[in-house]
Amino acid sequence: MDLEDLYRILRTGHVQAQGIVDTVPDPMLVLDSALTVQSANRAFFRTFAVDRYDTIGQHLYDLGNGQWDIPELRRLLGEVIPKSSAVIDYKVEHDFPHIGKKIMLLTARTVFNPDNVSHLMLLSIVDITDRSRKEAEFEAVFGELRHRLKNVLGLVRALANQTKAEGVSGEEYRTAFLGRLQAVADANDLALSDHGDDSLDALVARATKPFQTAPETIIVEPSPPLTLASKEIMSLSLLLHELATNAVKYGALSAPAGTVRIRWEVEQGDHPLLRLSWRESGGPPVRKPASTGYGTQLIQFAIAYNLGGNVEQNYRTEGFEAEIVVPLERAARPD
Amino acid sequence: MQKTILIVEDEFIIAMDLKVILERLGWRVLGPVPKVANALRLLEDELPTLALLDVNLGDQLVTPVAEALRSRGVPFAVASAYDKPELIGGAVLAGVPNAGKPTSEWSLLEVLAKLSPP
Repeated sequence: MDLEDLYRILRTGHVQAQGIVDTVPDPMLVLDSALTVQSANRAFFRTFAVDRYDTIGQHLYDLGNGQWDIPELRRLLGEVIPKSSAVIDYKVEHDFPHIGKKIMLLTARTVFNPDNVSHLMLLSIVDITDRSRKEAEFEAVFGELRHRLKNVLGLVRALANQTKAEGVSGEEYRTAFLGRLQAVADANDLALSDHGDDSLDALVARATKPFQTAPETIIVEPSPPLTLASKEIMSLSLLLHELATNAVKYGALSAPAGTVRIRWEVEQGDHPLLRLSWRESGGPPVRKPASTGYGTQLIQFAIAYNLGGNVEQNYRTEGFEAEIVVPLERAARPD
Repeated sequence: MQKTILIVEDEFIIAMDLKVILERLGWRVLGPVPKVANALRLLEDELPTLALLDVNLGDQLVTPVAEALRSRGVPFAVASAYDKPELIGGAVLAGVPNAGKPTSEWSLLEVLAKLSPP
């Protein structure tokens, strides 16, 4: 082998090494023992928006007007590296003048050249700024989800505890509880839906469906479109469920020819109002109940407590009627 | 004299449940109320023996109620789904007993005992 061959092999080796370094997706520097940059890969130039000619041959701390002169990096290279052959994933945060704040994981490895007393150092820089931000976002979303889950369980517990168990059979209790649970589950579904199901229309259809024994049992008259806030969905879902349950037990839906008509309107103005009416007809003659049960209390509370609305229940002999008035928050706007 | 407890909780079914449980345990309940403003209004008329607070009231935090109770010397507990309510509602909630969510009768009894030593 003559000198010519040797030179060619060395040069090919160098080109190959540079090729390998360039394919590494994360920024990488090759430094000599004096911390002068011997080589850098494409990812380094791209990530830190610097030029090859301003980088190679420069001292690391002089690069880009001293933007790499970072106290944490100085400590890593000056104190940690001489005592160990490698440092892996050392986290450094730095605010770069042009590209802004970066969070990086530095990995440094010393490579000895057997023919030479000098050594080289490979410094890889993984930019985890985006990853860190995404992890923080995930943590926040996850925390919110955990909170919601506990709240839903709290709601289910309260429903189970509030459904009347005294003087009823186990089967009756189960039917009553599962009906209410379904109303909560439906409300949850509609409120979290990403298909625009958070409308009063969708809610009424969903809440009345289990009670539609024949096509004309519950008639929804043409009413304006309205988007609801999630707590409005929850309250109205339970309200409709209780009204329908009562209608099946004592009202119009206890008779084959009985019907319920539902309609609503939105009163515009500085304080928009939803007026929803529930009218029963064709059932047995109505008498005002002697005592109000939990269902009636639930109906009042669902609307009054934190929607600030009210429910007027009218025990007309020809058929029960309810008028529900709910002040609409800005979140629930007519579309 | 009958002991009184203020309940602040925005979810109406949970609020009704807490009221029923506490009344069964012999308390007279102030509220329940869903919002800070309702609670502060009640406190103007009457100071309860104790208070039980939800931390996150939908679009607001219970913190001003907790601060008002603290400054008037009324002990309070929270019934919150958050493990560390002080991270959400501020320092006034640090170290306050938490009956948790879902709130069981047993955990309510436990925090009430902590707040009103015999």
